[in-house]
Amino acid sequence: MNEDERLPMCPENLREGMKLGPIFYVVMPEQVEAFARATANTNPLYTSPSERIAPPTMRLQDYGLLIAAHFRSGSGGIHAKHRSEFYEPMRVGQTVRTDGRITRTWSKRGKFYFELEYEARDAETEELLVRHAMTAVLLHEGARQ
Amino acid sequence: MSAPAKHPEISRELVGEPYTLDEAEAHAYAAAIERPATRHPRPSIHSDPEAARKAGFRAPIAAGEQSYALVANFLVDLFGVRFLRGGRLEAVFLKPVFYGQRLTVHARVSARGESATELEVWVEDEDRDRVLTGKASLPAAEHDEPEFS
Repeated sequence: MNEDERLPMCPENLREGMKLGPIFYVVMPEQVEAFARATANTNPLYTSPSERIAPPTMRLQDYGLLIAAHFRSGSGGIHAKHRSEFYEPMRVGQTVRTDGRITRTWSKRGKFYFELEYEARDAETEELLVRHAMTAVLLHEGARQ
Repeated sequence: MSAPAKHPEISRELVGEPYTLDEAEAHAYAAAIERPATRHPRPSIHSDPEAARKAGFRAPIAAGEQSYALVANFLVDLFGVRFLRGGRLEAVFLKPVFYGQRLTVHARVSARGESATELEVWVEDEDRDRVLTGKASLPAAEHDEPEFS
């Protein structure tokens, strides 16, 4: 979807059942290094030259890329809850496909919430690697949360 | 973190090393993930002071996933790849966290059954306030396999 077709990020455009993605990427060693530095983690699982794996939540922010592929503008949101199911570790050099879906939307005390479920699979074998679900409060322009 | 017992008793609290949120490293990581850029960057509450102020925060806040990542990494440090094959984690973000704050991950085994080990997990800031709380589970260790990696 090009930027001209993206919808404004607002409650009216976030609909239950709405599919987001897919996005594709290759797990790069420099991303593993950057994430390890950002989280001050030196576990040899992430640095071993053979069978190097990515830290478990390195691609958790795929939800942001899924949203950005379909929505524009808006003020972003506040991450309220998250859950993850891990099936297989991501590996450096692996091509990954991530798909998402808005599973729930609701309003409470003047705030708009949405839940986005997304899962990452090996793009070639379709093996499920990880499934996430995030819940966020949508920020309104100029609002105090 | 001292080496835990091979099979820790239920309710024993496990504590990770304190971690100071580094703003520069967090932004470098975000830039690495978004390369090549797929959108026009807009002011973010995680990097723009004005955007953070408009959202009600005194300064840019760290993304909730940074605290979440600390927990996930801690569980891999404890249990190895076993956590990445059948492990579960869920958490609620309780309060915003600012760059420069020092966080500590805590975990406590709440149940250990034939099929799964369950834990309570949380992250505290330097004032010992909880910024994240949740639970985790992973498949039980194989016979004679150490509970911890």
